Amino acid sequence: MADKKKKNMTPAQQKYQGLQQKHELKRPIFKNCLRAFWVGGLICTIGQAVTYFYIYFFNFTEQTAGNPTVATMVFFSMLLTGFGVYDHLGQYAGAGSAVPVTGFGNAVISAAIEHRTEGFVLGVGGNMFKLAGSVILFGVFSAFVVALIKTVLIQWGVL
Amino acid sequence: MNSEWEGLVMRKKYVFIVLYLLLVLAGCSQNESNDSEMALIKKTDPKPVLIDKKTKGNVDVAADIKKEITSYKELYDVAVVKGTEDTLVVYKVKHLQRFHMKKIEKKIKGMLEKKFPDEKFTVSSDYKIFLEAIKLKEKMEKPDYSEEEANKRLKEIIKLKKEMA
Repeated sequence: MADKKKKNMTPAQQKYQGLQQKHELKRPIFKNCLRAFWVGGLICTIGQAVTYFYIYFFNFTEQTAGNPTVATMVFFSMLLTGFGVYDHLGQYAGAGSAVPVTGFGNAVISAAIEHRTEGFVLGVGGNMFKLAGSVILFGVFSAFVVALIKTVLIQWGVL
Repeated sequence: MNSEWEGLVMRKKYVFIVLYLLLVLAGCSQNESNDSEMALIKKTDPKPVLIDKKTKGNVDVAADIKKEITSYKELYDVAVVKGTEDTLVVYKVKHLQRFHMKKIEKKIKGMLEKKFPDEKFTVSSDYKIFLEAIKLKEKMEKPDYSEEEANKRLKEIIKLKKEMA
């Protein structure tokens, strides 16, 4: 693919690309991974603490405590996005802050804030799930597929 | 610039004061002796709990159940509560063995039903159920806690275990 692209380029373009590659700053992949690891881990540790909180003080078991925990974490990230803290966290940690469920809350609220000037219905309502909508769609669809496979396997007596 | 710096130093001071207070408070709570407070973190290894203490032989059965289950290498903390009808068996699974939790539960349930055919078992590896079992044990140590109340609570715990969502 890259070779084909290169063939279509004029010599000047090729020369420019070479120059560009020479001066391009190398991405600090290891450092980024490290940051994503510790911030993502920290978010998950907080999530675990919230789970224990629900187990300890309310009538939730390990099985059922997941639901309120997810809701609480999304709520936290929504507050942090509203106050402008999550942006900095996202800049620092990258995937470490986007992959956990808090990233979902951030995607919803940041889209809502961005389109607030276009009004509540067409702006906030219409654009709120611009990013998160695909997460919901593919989440629900993949859950459906997995459930289907599991049902078939149980019917066959494999599981 | 100078005032900004002073503000930062002041803020840092506050952070240290709050952290110090938190540490002091955490230190104070160390003397509490209730097992249930630390049941989620530490190994408690409670003695088998008997709700119906009058029936002879119950003590041995409960002790036997506990002994059988403690012999599993995958587990590290076992609580047994023997009610008048149901027997609750709760355990904590070692961290790396948690991948096989369902298999372990099936294995233990099968073994218990085979060895103690007269008993009706509820087996669980849930931390919440473990915590509630310890809390029930602590409540039963109080003299004013009746057998009926304990049985009712045990039934509630078993119902909680069966809840899925």
